[in-house]
Amino acid sequence: MGVLNFTLNEDGVAVMHDALMCMFKFSDDVCLEARKDKLTLTTLNVSKSAYVCFTFAAGRFFSRYRFDGNAQYRDRFSCQVYTRSLLSIFRPRQSSDSAGGRESTIERCDVIIEDGPGRKSRLIARISCRNGTTATHSLSFEAKAPTHAKFEKNEATNHWAISSRTLRQLMDHFGPSIELLDINTDDDTRVVNFTCFTEKAQKRGSNTNEAVLKKPLHTNIAVEMDEFDDVEVEDKLHIIISVKDFRAILQHAQLTSGELSTSYSIPGRPMKLSYNNDGVLCEFILMTVGEKDVMNQKHKNPRGSSAAAKAARPELDATSHRESSVANEKPSQQVDAGLMKPPARRPIQQRSPTRLRQPHFEIRPQPMPPPATARSDSLFVTQHDDEQQWEPLNPDEEEDEGDDDRLEWNSNNEPNPSTMRISSYVDRPAPPEPQSLDHLPSGMEPTQPLSDVRRFGLFSS
Amino acid sequence: MRFKTDLRNIRTFSRLVAALNSLEKIAWVRLDDETARFTVIPDTGSQVWASLSVNLIFDNYSIQSAEPSNTINLELPLGPLQRALRSAAGGNQASLRLTKRDGLPMLSMTIHAMTKDGGGPEPRGGRAASGFSGADPNDPFGDDPDIFQQESLELTLKREREKVITQDIPVRVLHPDTVETIMQPKVREPDVHIQLPPLLQLKAISDRFTKLALTTSSSSRPGGGPERNNPKLELSANMYGSLRLRVAAESLDITSVWNGLDNPELDPGALSMPVEEHPSTRFREEGPDKWATVRVDGKDWSRVLSVGRLDAGRVIACFSDDHALILYVYVPHHDDEASDDVVTYYVSSYSA
Repeated sequence: MGVLNFTLNEDGVAVMHDALMCMFKFSDDVCLEARKDKLTLTTLNVSKSAYVCFTFAAGRFFSRYRFDGNAQYRDRFSCQVYTRSLLSIFRPRQSSDSAGGRESTIERCDVIIEDGPGRKSRLIARISCRNGTTATHSLSFEAKAPTHAKFEKNEATNHWAISSRTLRQLMDHFGPSIELLDINTDDDTRVVNFTCFTEKAQKRGSNTNEAVLKKPLHTNIAVEMDEFDDVEVEDKLHIIISVKDFRAILQHAQLTSGELSTSYSIPGRPMKLSYNNDGVLCEFILMTVGEKDVMNQKHKNPRGSSAAAKAARPELDATSHRESSVANEKPSQQVDAGLMKPPARRPIQQRSPTRLRQPHFEIRPQPMPPPATARSDSLFVTQHDDEQQWEPLNPDEEEDEGDDDRLEWNSNNEPNPSTMRISSYVDRPAPPEPQSLDHLPSGMEPTQPLSDVRRFGLFSS
Repeated sequence: MRFKTDLRNIRTFSRLVAALNSLEKIAWVRLDDETARFTVIPDTGSQVWASLSVNLIFDNYSIQSAEPSNTINLELPLGPLQRALRSAAGGNQASLRLTKRDGLPMLSMTIHAMTKDGGGPEPRGGRAASGFSGADPNDPFGDDPDIFQQESLELTLKREREKVITQDIPVRVLHPDTVETIMQPKVREPDVHIQLPPLLQLKAISDRFTKLALTTSSSSRPGGGPERNNPKLELSANMYGSLRLRVAAESLDITSVWNGLDNPELDPGALSMPVEEHPSTRFREEGPDKWATVRVDGKDWSRVLSVGRLDAGRVIACFSDDHALILYVYVPHHDDEASDDVVTYYVSSYSA
């Protein structure tokens, strides 16, 4: 007899799989927390900017659910598992022939979690298929308390709800390379605007001709307020979240046909999105981009020149400086598990460089190294005064500077020949600014004579 | 400088942009009172000059420029334009205008669209929505999912509102001086002109040849520039309705021939010389064994033939023996207007 026993029917397995798929987009592992009346799955992403919580009601969702608290786990039991292993257990099994293929589909799934003194910690899942096959999986896990993000309900005065499917379809209009979503309202025209944009290209932009055209599509969608339920939002408030997170949420939300509700307060404070489906409550807490971050970005945009980059650099060049400030903060923060502490760039730098390209790592305030097991009820809450001192740290600049060369030639191995060619004509009348000369890719010069030649002998090269 | 128009024939426009985008990411667009011209000039590969009458893709068109003959020249990334057009294709109405955002010129597309809400959960394998789980698709008495869809559609339609989507495409406005130097290539009168077989067919066979040549050459000849390694296809035509496609590599030599194609009559009025002196007359006189031949890059040729997605009516190929190949792709008008909309491909060719 385990601490927790439950049985899922076919649909339950699929719903569980959907939930895990969604969580997997945020993090590699998931925390299970069992109580008498509910099972909760939670996860927090690496940058601690997004928190996902799925609550399965014991009575409604499971065919059978039984929690037996023992001496160690009186009223709740929690553990952490690799999402990937759970995904492979709950994966849909079906034959390609959808009409007659039900024999091989899952009929039910029994899960037992064993733990306690003198017992091996194991999660055992037995999958019974319609064709009589039974597969038993046994996973080890780490018993640990989950990290919960805290959301101040009273503080979040702005809220709206809308059909998740409508929202999902709107996302189709956004281009592939965008990173940030700005949700804002306009009381005059009675619309809610969803604006997608990217900071990256603009930052790197400088004044070179190609850069202007490499900027991705800037998309705005205006939705009339009448289409929302329960809408109450401060006029002209801009709240910015990561598109990637938002997409991952909608991908899951559209499977349920319900309404998605959001509530939030001000930039730099968390936003909560939630929806209900048949005994499953899905909640997401996303950190929004702080107002100052946005202002910084906005200021940078028009100039976007290397001069601005240089001005900013003194504050962020020294890695040691960064480290020491992290270190200084540690004692006080760790207790709070300082979820939304701004840039502790280190941990991320150590990851693969490609990570750096991911938008929300750049713009989001970065967390402290996670105090793995600390119970942290005060997540998201303690960040009033120290926000300021972290603010100017904008680690992007330096790295972007380094990135620049690589991006021109390696990762973006299409140097867009035609722009260069046409812009070579463009540059002729106006004497090129010295600065833009610096930025011209060195491929420019060989291109010019080549194009001249080609104009004469186009068809014989 | 002002430019504002509604969009029409969005599918045609979108397909044209897709065809151009396969050759080059950035296009030069020249707009004036009557025509919208899209030009792409890749560094290596074929050039395209697409000249469309304004009323093919635009409606309520208005242009105002201080430049001579009311012209606006833009440099435009095709990827974002294609993306925006895809977004517009599902909408009710779309318009385009030249504007500025944050001091930068933008081609701003405004789309009015609805979302299709209601209906059951997205169709996905293995699971009906929990709730009506046991529904067997073959069971005539089972719940018909369509009924659910219609019901919920009605519920939501009451509140369904039009959304306004704005897609801003970055552009650069080009000074007339800068584009003055870009000239449409001049090529001598063609030796052979012939109407191509259906492009899908031609493309399938060409691609097959290219792949075959690739598999044989990659093993035998490593090294060298990537362009140089691309297999070359030999394309020939005569004035007796035949088109020949050949690929020759070390271990293979394949030829495919189309017969019974049309060699269109020349219009004497449009020629700068008497028909008798035209090179094609000489080629015709020398009989069906007189071929005009060019060699094209297999991969580039495949990108050229992707223009077939336009549902092009006629495609005329003009061969200058051992020198040049030009394709004139006639863009179909859906409303039966007399069409002189032509997309011209200057296919890059190689000497043997």
